[in-house]
Amino acid sequence: MFPRPIEQASPAAQLAYKIALPAALILWLLPLLGVAMTSVRPASDLAQGNYFGWPSALAFDNYISVFRDSNIAQYMLNSFKVTIPTVIGCLILSTMTGFALAIYKFRSNLLIFFLFVAGNFVPFQILMVPVRDLTLNLGLYNTSAGLALFHIAFQTGFCTLFMRNFIKALPFELIEAARVEGVTEVRIFWYIVLPLMRPAIAALSVLVFTFIWNDFFWATVLTTSAETQPVTAGLSSLNGQWIAAWHLVSAGSIIAAMPPVLMFFAMQKHFIAGLTLGAVK
Amino acid sequence: MAEVKIRALQKAYGAVKVVHEVDVDIPDGEFVVLVGPSGCGKSTLLRMIAGLEAITSGTISIGNRVVNNLPPAERDIAMVFQNYALYPHKTVAANMGFALKMARMDKAEIDSRVARAADILGLQPYLARYPRELSGGQRQRVAMGRAIVRNPQVFLFDEPLSNLDAKLRVQMRSEIRELHQRLATTTVYVTHDQIEAMTMADRIVVMREGRIAQQGAPLDLYDRPANTFVAGFIGSPSMNLLPGVSRGGRIEAEGLSLPAPDGAAEGRRVIWGVRPEHLELDPSGIAATVVVVEPTGSETHVVLRIGGHDAVAVFRERHAFRPGEVIHLSPRAGLVHLFDEATGDRIN
Repeated sequence: MFPRPIEQASPAAQLAYKIALPAALILWLLPLLGVAMTSVRPASDLAQGNYFGWPSALAFDNYISVFRDSNIAQYMLNSFKVTIPTVIGCLILSTMTGFALAIYKFRSNLLIFFLFVAGNFVPFQILMVPVRDLTLNLGLYNTSAGLALFHIAFQTGFCTLFMRNFIKALPFELIEAARVEGVTEVRIFWYIVLPLMRPAIAALSVLVFTFIWNDFFWATVLTTSAETQPVTAGLSSLNGQWIAAWHLVSAGSIIAAMPPVLMFFAMQKHFIAGLTLGAVK
Repeated sequence: MAEVKIRALQKAYGAVKVVHEVDVDIPDGEFVVLVGPSGCGKSTLLRMIAGLEAITSGTISIGNRVVNNLPPAERDIAMVFQNYALYPHKTVAANMGFALKMARMDKAEIDSRVARAADILGLQPYLARYPRELSGGQRQRVAMGRAIVRNPQVFLFDEPLSNLDAKLRVQMRSEIRELHQRLATTTVYVTHDQIEAMTMADRIVVMREGRIAQQGAPLDLYDRPANTFVAGFIGSPSMNLLPGVSRGGRIEAEGLSLPAPDGAAEGRRVIWGVRPEHLELDPSGIAATVVVVEPTGSETHVVLRIGGHDAVAVFRERHAFRPGEVIHLSPRAGLVHLFDEATGDRIN
């Protein structure tokens, strides 16, 4: 079996493993732990300079204050209004583009595929000015729809790469068998390929959801008001509101970080290997 | 049900021709086996009949309808793939009924057809299972069931048994044959296994390098192979072939004088052939040195050296030959084959 179970390693290696693993974990989680601690710290602690010490009390009402005293609920809603349409739009487009590029042989197939891939290599910062102008001219500047449309366009390239390779790995005989059986191409996509893509769809939806939810750059470029700004951009504006209210910003951050985590757990049961088991041979 | 006519069919990938001018007529209800070594174009030919591969030139008609440009869906055929290609997310019943459901057939009709196919193939206990929960032989049957339910004009089989173990293969061989006797649907079956071809076919088409080497009834191919390729391919162990020269009504080869049938002109360079099972002990026959003795139980294969060539003889009797021993053999009367050395074509 590879990798070998740690129980079979030498005692020294086992000891090193047992020390290094928690150390690495703590190092990895330290910033997050810091934010979590700060989010339950009373404001007085921060005023007294107790930034990293033990909180003097647990102030869970920071979480209530942040909802009461800021627009975070609105920001969260804005984030959902951008993220959910983006995830759905990307998945719809990329399952279809992926299917076309994986299944059909046509002259410019590879060229188109490379274009999708190459799009991912464009540093998105250089798109800032043209995209801002484009959305402005389309009347979509400072709207959730404009932000979502841009994200769909930009994410579909990566999603197409992912989906195309996934479909390419499915046994092609399944498609041929269905064709011989008289099933139309659209129905092959819907009844044969789509059900087998469940793990890919689940993985991509978590990935895209997280990308878009955590996006800060385009959120600040394309939206400006509290009515449209997603939570990432909104949180940074909290900073200006309360210069030293780190406990509230932290609480807001923790809340803002929750949806991608929940999304992961919601999709987890679809991450299954061996869906095509029994199809061939 | 329908006849299949293939006329001057060619297939090329760029400059590389893989099927050359193939003509095959398959009468309604016949079981035809395409057989040949790998790369001979037999699978390509089948896939062209199925419509999964484009035709470079020539025509294929199914039941008086030229299907060259019809998509597979409109050819009214069913195909069983080498690796079964079952829909892994569907149960056995759903796998078999899927095409009918897509054709918007009545639910009750689908159920009765699936039940009938399951009945024929002994799949009733497995209808609710998924392909991953079935054994290789059961999956094979589901793939056949999927073909049967549609009641197509032609069945196409692409090496369907090559993924099964030897015992199951023999069993499925007769099951497929029995199924054909029951349904009498025109069938084209591709295999590289000559035993499968011999045992299953009404007619065998032997292919070599994209051309038909010979077609005919299995025993005709066995009795009168048209060339050295078919002679060597059909029959197991394969025919003994010795090159020689025709002189005075006999064939001189390797310092031996071999009995020969009529037909070879004096001085012609020929290949003399005899099947291992047609050699018998004869004190005045050809001298041969025993190399290896392979008992199979029902018969014994004896690997020999005749002159500088390897040969095999098969005996039903249990002779106690020892390696190194010299024995004398003669072919049975009328069972010698002669081929031209240059072209490999049959002479007698």
